[in-house]
Amino acid sequence: MKVCVFEDRDYDKLYPLTYLRATFELKCGHTSLLEKIKRKFGAGTFCYFAREQLAPGLKTKMPDESVNDLDALRDDLLIINGRWLASGTDDLQADGPEEVGISGETLVYARVKADTVQKHLKDDFFGFIDSIKSNLKNKDVSLKLISFPWDLVSSNGDAIKDDFDMLSQKGISGKFPPQAAIYGDADRAYVAETAKIHPFVVLDTSGGPVIIDEGAIIYPFSRIEGPACIGKDTQIHGAKIREGTAIGPVCMVGGEVEESIIHGYANKFHDGFLGHSYICEWVNLGAQTTNSDIKNDYSQVQVYVKGELTDTNQTKVGCFIGDHTKTSIGTLLNTGSVFGMMSNVMSIGGLLPKFIPSFCWFMNNKILKGYGFRMFIKTAETVVSRRGRKLTEDDIRLLEYTYKLVKPERDALIKKERM
Amino acid sequence: MADSVTDKVKKVVSRQLKVEESLINPDSDFVKDLGADSLKSVELVAAFEEEFDIEMDEEAALNVRTVGKAIEHIEKSMKEQGKSGADPQ
Repeated sequence: MKVCVFEDRDYDKLYPLTYLRATFELKCGHTSLLEKIKRKFGAGTFCYFAREQLAPGLKTKMPDESVNDLDALRDDLLIINGRWLASGTDDLQADGPEEVGISGETLVYARVKADTVQKHLKDDFFGFIDSIKSNLKNKDVSLKLISFPWDLVSSNGDAIKDDFDMLSQKGISGKFPPQAAIYGDADRAYVAETAKIHPFVVLDTSGGPVIIDEGAIIYPFSRIEGPACIGKDTQIHGAKIREGTAIGPVCMVGGEVEESIIHGYANKFHDGFLGHSYICEWVNLGAQTTNSDIKNDYSQVQVYVKGELTDTNQTKVGCFIGDHTKTSIGTLLNTGSVFGMMSNVMSIGGLLPKFIPSFCWFMNNKILKGYGFRMFIKTAETVVSRRGRKLTEDDIRLLEYTYKLVKPERDALIKKERM
Repeated sequence: MADSVTDKVKKVVSRQLKVEESLINPDSDFVKDLGADSLKSVELVAAFEEEFDIEMDEEAALNVRTVGKAIEHIEKSMKEQGKSGADPQ
């Protein structure tokens, strides 16, 4: 039995979060969607299908597993849509009769025998998926699929609880001084062995578990309300981390964060509020950057998806910021804002527009082209080197591909502003 | 009579960088003489594009150091993009 995790055609509804990563690499809770799938079917061999431009990066991350290789499919398969948010209570077994689990029109999973694979597999992956969907028995299932960026945020609290329940180790292993406190059940906290909790820190587990991962440092006067998780080597600087927050590895976070996902390698060092948001890697939110996550009339929030304002059917929605984007000091983000990747966003002394494209500078209420692709890369090289990383040739190729992909959208908006 | 490219460039530079037009000449260096920083330079390129209704490659445009070279760059872009109004050579 082989497990095939694939990215379906709806990856673009998750822009800007998925410009540089496959849908199954998105985070929800303490782990990515893929990590949750692997946790459930860990015994199997895995293979992956995603956009071609992401394949080199995926191969580097998972050198022992195949990516976009049709030959890897010639086996008994459990095929899983990479947008599935797997939880410990989901009832999906690797073994069982051949069937296709669908939600609406979307394939969530398929169990396919090797001889059936042989019959339907031609020369493209989606042709194969469409063929088995049409020919095998379909079964309606209620497994959770992530369709839009706000789905990750609204599912985050429960995903953290689920991730905590799956931990093999719980309790306080790391440095925890007597001047720090756990408010609530101590069994609902996990402080990893190399994590450091400073004096005057409160971990509040009364509303959910708190995970502090290896190498994390929680500085004085920080309060972390569960469900919450703090990733490896992340630093929390006297912050209020409210319930439903997942912060990935190597972040520096201060101020107030509520029900948000900070994917990893991002900075929100200073004061300012971040709520109901998803922040991608290498983002820097300048001091006092603050986002609105609820409208003053408490009506439902709309968010730009593929250029169209889309109903979220939720009243609390923050912002979604793509990789490498930076905000200046004092930036104010409107409810349900989407900022693309690698943009440089300056405060205008009031609320910014709800959509700012990728690879631009936003200044004086105008979208500008910025200083060109090579300088964007130069800045990114500086940024990643500050955390001991290096942009690889594959990284730069993917950035260049994405720059060309999104440039028409940016240039059209610039042109529209000038009319 | 319509302003020449040179006149228009001076006006745009004056407006964007808050420098009197009389102090702007072809040898003026945007950074050293006129006080442009990276933010102002990006805005200046956008203002030229808007004024002359042209598209400029941002990297090439930002490598232009002086007002005279900017005029040349803009006239070349206008010619390539079929825009009228370039100064007579």
